[in-house]
Amino acid sequence: MEYPIKKFAVDAKEIILNRRESLRYLGYFGNNTGDGEAAGESRGFEAEAMVAACEPEVLEVIRPVACYGRFAIERKGDALLFPYGEVRSGDLSKNLEGCKEIYLFAATIGTEFDRLIKRRSITDLAGAAILQAIGATAVENVCDRLNGYLEAEAKAEGRKLRPRYSPGYGDYGLENQKGIFQVLEPYRYIGISLTESLLMLPEKSVTAVIGIE
Amino acid sequence: MKDWILEVAKEKFLFFDGGCGTILQAAGLQAGEYPETWNRKRPEVITKLHYDYLMAGANILKTNTFGANCLKFPEGAGEDSLEEVIRLAVKNARDAIAMARETAEKEGIDIGEDHFVALDMGPLGKLLKPLGDLDFEEAVEIFKKTVKIGAEQGVDLILIETMNDIYEAKAAILAAKENSDLPVFLTTAYDESGKLLTGADPKTVVAVAEGLGVDALGVNCSLGPKQMMGIVETLTRYASVPVIVNPNAGIPRTENGKTVFDVTPADFKEAMTEIASLGARIMGGCCGTTPEHIGEMVKAVKGLAPKPLTYKEDTLIASYTHAVEFGKRPVLIGERINPTGKSKFKQALRDHNMDYILQEGLTQQEKKADVLDVNVGLPEIDEVAMMEEVVMELQAVTDLPLQIDTTNIEAMEKALRRYNGKAMINSVNGKKEIMEAVFPLAKKYGGLVVALTLDENGIPATAKGRMEIVEKIYKTAETYGVAKKDIIIDPLAMSISAEADSAKVTLESLRLIRDCYQGKSSLGVSNISFGLPRREFVNATFFALAMENGLNAAIMNPSSVEMMKAYHTFLALSAIDENCSEYISYVTALPEMTEKAPGSGGIGSVGSSAATGDGSAAGNVDGGAGKNASGAAGGANSPLKEAIMKGLKERAGLLTKEALQTKEAMEIIDGELIPALDEVGKGFENKTVFLPQLLMSAEAAGCAFDVIKEKMASGGNDREKKGKIVIATVKGDIHDIGKNIVKVLLENYGYDVIDLGKDVTPERIVETVKAENVPLVGLSALMTTTVPAMEETIKMLRAAGLPCKVVVGGAVLTQEYADMIGADKYAKDAMGAIRYAEEVFG
Repeated sequence: MEYPIKKFAVDAKEIILNRRESLRYLGYFGNNTGDGEAAGESRGFEAEAMVAACEPEVLEVIRPVACYGRFAIERKGDALLFPYGEVRSGDLSKNLEGCKEIYLFAATIGTEFDRLIKRRSITDLAGAAILQAIGATAVENVCDRLNGYLEAEAKAEGRKLRPRYSPGYGDYGLENQKGIFQVLEPYRYIGISLTESLLMLPEKSVTAVIGIE
Repeated sequence: MKDWILEVAKEKFLFFDGGCGTILQAAGLQAGEYPETWNRKRPEVITKLHYDYLMAGANILKTNTFGANCLKFPEGAGEDSLEEVIRLAVKNARDAIAMARETAEKEGIDIGEDHFVALDMGPLGKLLKPLGDLDFEEAVEIFKKTVKIGAEQGVDLILIETMNDIYEAKAAILAAKENSDLPVFLTTAYDESGKLLTGADPKTVVAVAEGLGVDALGVNCSLGPKQMMGIVETLTRYASVPVIVNPNAGIPRTENGKTVFDVTPADFKEAMTEIASLGARIMGGCCGTTPEHIGEMVKAVKGLAPKPLTYKEDTLIASYTHAVEFGKRPVLIGERINPTGKSKFKQALRDHNMDYILQEGLTQQEKKADVLDVNVGLPEIDEVAMMEEVVMELQAVTDLPLQIDTTNIEAMEKALRRYNGKAMINSVNGKKEIMEAVFPLAKKYGGLVVALTLDENGIPATAKGRMEIVEKIYKTAETYGVAKKDIIIDPLAMSISAEADSAKVTLESLRLIRDCYQGKSSLGVSNISFGLPRREFVNATFFALAMENGLNAAIMNPSSVEMMKAYHTFLALSAIDENCSEYISYVTALPEMTEKAPGSGGIGSVGSSAATGDGSAAGNVDGGAGKNASGAAGGANSPLKEAIMKGLKERAGLLTKEALQTKEAMEIIDGELIPALDEVGKGFENKTVFLPQLLMSAEAAGCAFDVIKEKMASGGNDREKKGKIVIATVKGDIHDIGKNIVKVLLENYGYDVIDLGKDVTPERIVETVKAENVPLVGLSALMTTTVPAMEETIKMLRAAGLPCKVVVGGAVLTQEYADMIGADKYAKDAMGAIRYAEEVFG
C-alpha cells in the first residue's frame, strides 16, 4: 500500500552543523544570567574545539532523511480539521491563521546515530553529551533544508510558508504525534517509530506542521 | 502442491501485480484511512484492481493486507477484526481470479493458469529493540497472527514486503515459517544509497534471508527501476533463490498540486526488460505503477528466456549492516569476549558489568577485528540469559558480525534467534550427539558453523584421520539441509610443546581442506604455543604459515602486535593488500600503538585512551598540556586536583598512583578529589563551567577512584560508602544519558548507587527500595508523556509505606511538576541531585 507521501533525502556530507547551536544545546551562551553570559563566551572557546573534534564522527554515521505530505485543512469553530482529526490548539490556530493547506513532515538522522551515542556512553559521557548536541543540530539542519525546499515549491505557486510548528510547542500537544504518524507513516518511509509514551525513535527525529499561506 | 509456484518460478518468469494505494486514493481513499478497510467497504474497487492486473498478465496478486496486523486491527469478532480484514482480502483476490478466467475464456484471451494469491505483510511500524521499543519475540507473535489467518484462508504464498529493517524481516520470516508450510518471499526497500534504512546492503540481505530459508527474495518500493539496477546486480550475483523486483514508477513529485510518478508504462517496460536480463525472475510493480505498467512489462518480458538460476558458493556471514565473506582474505575473529583465564572478565560476568564486556568488543573493533567471538560461559551464572543479553547489547553498539561460542545448546538457540544478521556458530564436531543438536539450529536460523575435527574417538593424530571426520561432518550437515558452504572446518592447533609435529599436521590439514574439499577453514591459532615462553612469537609465525596454507579465518587477539604484524605482512606479501597501502598505514600507526602519549584530556583523545587505565600510558606525569579551562580554578592547586578539574583522565590516574605512595587513600579523597569535584560543581552551578567539562572532571575523578579502589581492595579495605541510592529512568522513557551523568557524580561522591537502568516499572523500583532498604530514590524522565509514570512510581513508593525520599529531574520537569507529582525534591541538574543527596545523608 502506498500514499502520496514523498521522501526527501539529504547527503550526510551536505549537512551543515552550526557549531554555535551545538554549544547552545550544551548550555553555553544564553539561558544563563548576567556575567554568566560573558563567562560562557570565554569558556565557549575550549568547548568549540571539543565540538569540532566530534563533528566528523556524527557526519560519518548519520543518514539524514525526511518525508512529508501536503494536506487541506479546515476550521470548525475554534478547532482545526487536520487530515488525522480535530486539533484544538490556540497557539497552532494562530500560527495557521488564514491557511487552507499545510505540510506535515517527519525528519530524522537515523538509527546509527543512536548506536554511536550508546557506544560512546560506555567510555566517555562528556563525549556522548557533545555528540548528542551535535545530533540535535544535525536534525535541525535536515528540517531547515526540507523547509527551504518546500518554501521554493510554495513560492513557485506564489505562496508563502509559516514557521514550522512541532507537537509539544505551546498547547499543540504531544498526543498529536499519533495522528501525524497515522497520516505520514514515517516508519515505512524513513524508519521513525513512535513509542507508547509518544517518544520518537531514532532519538534525533522531528515532526512538524508548516502552514501554507 | 504447496511448492507449485516454486516449480513455475524455476521454468519461467512470474509477474507480480503493481501499485494499489495511488489507485485507491483516486477512488476516494482518505488520508489516514486504512486501505485494508476497503476490503469490506469497497470490495468492488479492490476486486476490480486485482482483475485489471490479472488481465494485464500478472500471475501473483498481493492481498490488500499490507498493514493487516493486530496493532492496527484487533483480533476477534467485528467487521474490522484482523480475521475479517484478511478473510475478505483473500476473498477479493480469489473472486478476481475467477472473474478474470471467466472473461479470458469468454473472450478467448490467454492469461494462462498460473495465478497465485500472496498474503501481503508490510512492516509493523515499530522499531525493534535494542534501539526501538518492540521486542523481537513480540514482533514474531504479531506476524504469527497474520500468518495463521492467511494460511487458514488458503493463500498460496506469503510475501513479506517493503521491509526497511532486516531484523524485522527476520521476525516476519520466522513467524511465516513456524506457522505455515507456505513458500515465503521477501522484498526489502533500499534507498538511494543502496542500503536499507537500518543499514543493510543487498549482500547482507541475501546472507540473512537465505540463511533463514526464504524461497525468493528481492527489492520493492522506494526507488524506480533504473535506480535499482545496481541492487539487482548484487542480488542476482549472490542469491541462489529467484530474485524479485517490484519497483515504484519512479519517484513521486508534485505537479500542479497533484502527485505524479515520472516513469511511464513505456519507460517501465524498457527498464524491466533490462532488469530481466540481469537475472531477475519475478517482476512486478509498487507505488505508482498501474495495470498499464504491468501489461507493457509482461508483453515485453514474457517471451524472453530467463537467465538460468545458479547455486552460489559464497561463504557469507553478516551483521545487521554488512556481510563478511570467507575465502578472499583471512578473517580476524576477536577472541577477547571470553572468561577463560581472565579473572577480570569473570568478575565482570558475576557482577553483570555489561560495560566491561562491551568495552572488550569495542576495543577489538578498534583493533580491526572483523568478527567478535562471544563466550560468556561461567558455571555460576545463567549462561542462557547472559548470552542473549550480551548479544543484544553488543549489537546496540557495534556493527561487527558475531560468533556465538557456547556448548550450551539452549544459549546457542536463544542467541541465534535474537541475533540480527547471520552469525557464526562455534561449534560442532564429529560427535553424533553434537551434530544432532547444532545442525537443526543452523538450518533454521542460518549461520556459518565452525566444525572441529574431533569425534567420539578424540582428535586423530594425522591429517588423514582429521579429513575422515571432515567428510563425516559435511555429509551429516547435508542431511540436515546445511550446505557445505556454511561449514567452516577447524582442524585444531595443538601445542607443539606436547606433540612435536602437531603444527605440521594442522598445516597439512589446512591444505587438504582447501585443495581436496574446496572447503573453508578456521583456527584458534594461539593453542599452538601452549606451554612455551613468549607465546606470541610462536603464534605469529604459525599464523603466517597457516594463512599461506589456506587458513580462511583465525580466532585471535587483535590487540597482539605480533599477530597483527604477521597478518599485515602476509596480506602485503601475498598481493592481497594492493600497493601495500594497508601495510603502510598499519606501520605508520604503530608507534602510537606501542608508546601511547599521555592523554591531553582533549575530547579527541578519549575514544582511544578510555580503555581501562591498565597503566599502559608511559611516564611524563608532569608534562600534560593544561590550558583547558577549569572554570573554577583558584590559587595553588595540587597537580592531582588540577588534573581532575581539567578533566585529564589518564593524568589523574597516574597522579593518584603516585600520590598513594606517600599518602593515605582517604587523605587523597578528602583532600583532593572531593574538593576538586566541589569546585567544578560550584562552577557548574554558577555557569562558569558547562556540562562537557563537568563530565570530563567527573570521569577523571572516576579514574582516580578506580586506582584508589584497586589499592584498597589489595589491602583488603574498601572506601566507606555514604549510603544507598536507587536511580532509574521511569517506565516508557528510554533516555538515560541524564541519569547516567547523575550516577557518575553520585559514585564519585561515595554513594552506593543502584542503577536500575531505563524504562523501569514502578514495581521494580518499589521492590528494590524495599529489599535494599534505600533512603533516597532518583527518578528521571525526559518527556511530558512519561511524567505520569514518575507520578505513579512515587505513589506506589508512598503506598508501600517506604520512608524514602524521592528526587526527580529531567528535561521537561519543573518545580511545579515536581510538586504536583509529590516528589520531595526537584533537581534542575546533576549537581542539584548531589546537593540533595548530601542533605539527605547529612
